[in-house]
Amino acid sequence: MIMEAVYELLKAVSKEHFMENMVSIPLIQPVIDNLLNIPLVGYVVALILWKPMFALLIFPGLLTLMTVLLFIIWFERKLTARIQWRRGPLEILRWAGGIIQALADGLRYFFQEVIVHRDAHKPYFIQLPILIFIPVLLPLLFIPAGSIVGIKTPYALPVVVAIVSLIPVFIVAIGWASNSRFAYVGTIREAFMYFAYEIPFILSVVAMILVYGTADMTAIVEKQTIPGIILNPVAALVFFISTIMATSRLPFEIPEADQEIAFGPFVEYSGIMFGLVMTIAYEKMYILALLMSVLFLGGGNGFPIPLLGDLAPVIWMFLKTMAVMVALAFLRSIYARFRLDQALRLSWTTMLKISAVAVLIGAALNIAQVA
Amino acid sequence: MIKIKVRKPDMVENIKLHLDALLTGVKEAVKPGTITIEYPRERRWLPDSFRGYILFTPENCISCFQCSFVCPANAILMKKSENNRYYPSIDYAKCIFCHFCVDSCPGSALRQTKIHDVVYIDLDEMFCPTENMINPPEIVREDEYTVEYLMDLDIILKRVKERDDLIPEVKPVEIIKEYSSCYEPDSCLACGICVSSCPNEAISITSLDGEKRLKIDADRCTGCGICVKECPVQILKLVKG
Repeated sequence: MIMEAVYELLKAVSKEHFMENMVSIPLIQPVIDNLLNIPLVGYVVALILWKPMFALLIFPGLLTLMTVLLFIIWFERKLTARIQWRRGPLEILRWAGGIIQALADGLRYFFQEVIVHRDAHKPYFIQLPILIFIPVLLPLLFIPAGSIVGIKTPYALPVVVAIVSLIPVFIVAIGWASNSRFAYVGTIREAFMYFAYEIPFILSVVAMILVYGTADMTAIVEKQTIPGIILNPVAALVFFISTIMATSRLPFEIPEADQEIAFGPFVEYSGIMFGLVMTIAYEKMYILALLMSVLFLGGGNGFPIPLLGDLAPVIWMFLKTMAVMVALAFLRSIYARFRLDQALRLSWTTMLKISAVAVLIGAALNIAQVA
Repeated sequence: MIKIKVRKPDMVENIKLHLDALLTGVKEAVKPGTITIEYPRERRWLPDSFRGYILFTPENCISCFQCSFVCPANAILMKKSENNRYYPSIDYAKCIFCHFCVDSCPGSALRQTKIHDVVYIDLDEMFCPTENMINPPEIVREDEYTVEYLMDLDIILKRVKERDDLIPEVKPVEIIKEYSSCYEPDSCLACGICVSSCPNEAISITSLDGEKRLKIDADRCTGCGICVKECPVQILKLVKG
């Protein structure tokens, strides 16, 4: 009995098991084959190229997430500066236009002191910025890029939406643990905004589930011969606006509002802790952009590139995600901030109405069996 | 109380306004106008009369104290130098760069430069003695371009690949030779204030028949006018020679 279990376990972590389900890239296949023959390196290469591990480490997981984070923070500042007739980050790596500014800032955060002030609830204050990475990173496992997916399940979409919905709860907890006036105001705003955008957001996702008749993301991508944004543009609009609200971008940058309440729930953080909490919104933005590209832009669909094999959908999906993120970053430079009451009125009246219409369109398409 | 009616745009107009904002953003993202000068690498073109760091030429100075008198910030201190003359020294912690001193200088001993980026370590160092005012401060020129703002309807930046000379040539002013003279010798009190105030020892009091008389050496007089200012009965004035 035990021997069988041990045998099963060994089989599960064997190189052959990984090689059964590997990312195939015809362009560098000879190199991979050679590497696989080397004893230890071969095992590591097989592990990395094992599809679930590839999803976790390369795309949409860790590596892409880090790259996107470093890029989008720089890009947002640069684009906003350009539109506002300024220069933006420039001096660090000047010939590349200061592209590693975010990395430099991150390094600086590392060497700054993390101050835990007297009134803070110390355990929560320190733990929550780290624990928040569970709901931030977990959804990445369920998002497919072609055949590359961490966990394949028919309930992927509800799982992702549920986990993403947990993030504001952590932010509210962070604000509570900070125990200061600005954090209090910011937390209240975050809580209000959470309720306001969550319902239209979920309704738009429900509309898309109705359109495709399934919640399995791989199936959703396969069914999108016509992209979802054309099938149900109303749902796409609602999803986009609630993404802006959820990631607190302008014009809905109400909980953070650095000019008014100095980053709201995160006001008391310093050093690397601030670096961690500051990137939460960007990570959430990345996940929601991935979700948007899966639901509305056809995910990894695109004309295949034979040389790249399994990497082609990855590239298409990455480009679509970046397009959504750039659109989100672009809004920062042209919009002013809504007041809390204006944003709440907008989401509880107009957005709710439009999302109901989106669900109706989704139901009609479900009955008509379009997708 | 007057209530201001806020005009509420209808939906079509609203969408139009949003699109307009988005289009403006895209336009600026593609082809941005810019009014930023990358300062150490580019310098803004400045007119020759720019009020910057002040340079001093001791040869032209007649120790007239005009700069010190006129300074509204009281930043100029006249210090006695080795040759018994008084020369100005500027405290840049007080200076407001009005350049009244430069304008008031009769011999153009003080002159303006375009240097506006001098760094001091502390407040004490900001006091600039006369020796340091003769030569311009050490400048590290990183700039390759000179940028000029052309204020037409829109602001246009004109970049020229050349270095602006920070120390402009000052036309030498024609110095009108003046000297002090006493026009009412009978009123003279012979108090000797003019004698002690003269920086060039051009005035002396001579006793003639038991009557004290003022004697002004026109060759030694620089026409600084200090004695004119100091005379208690105001019988001295400057005359053109």
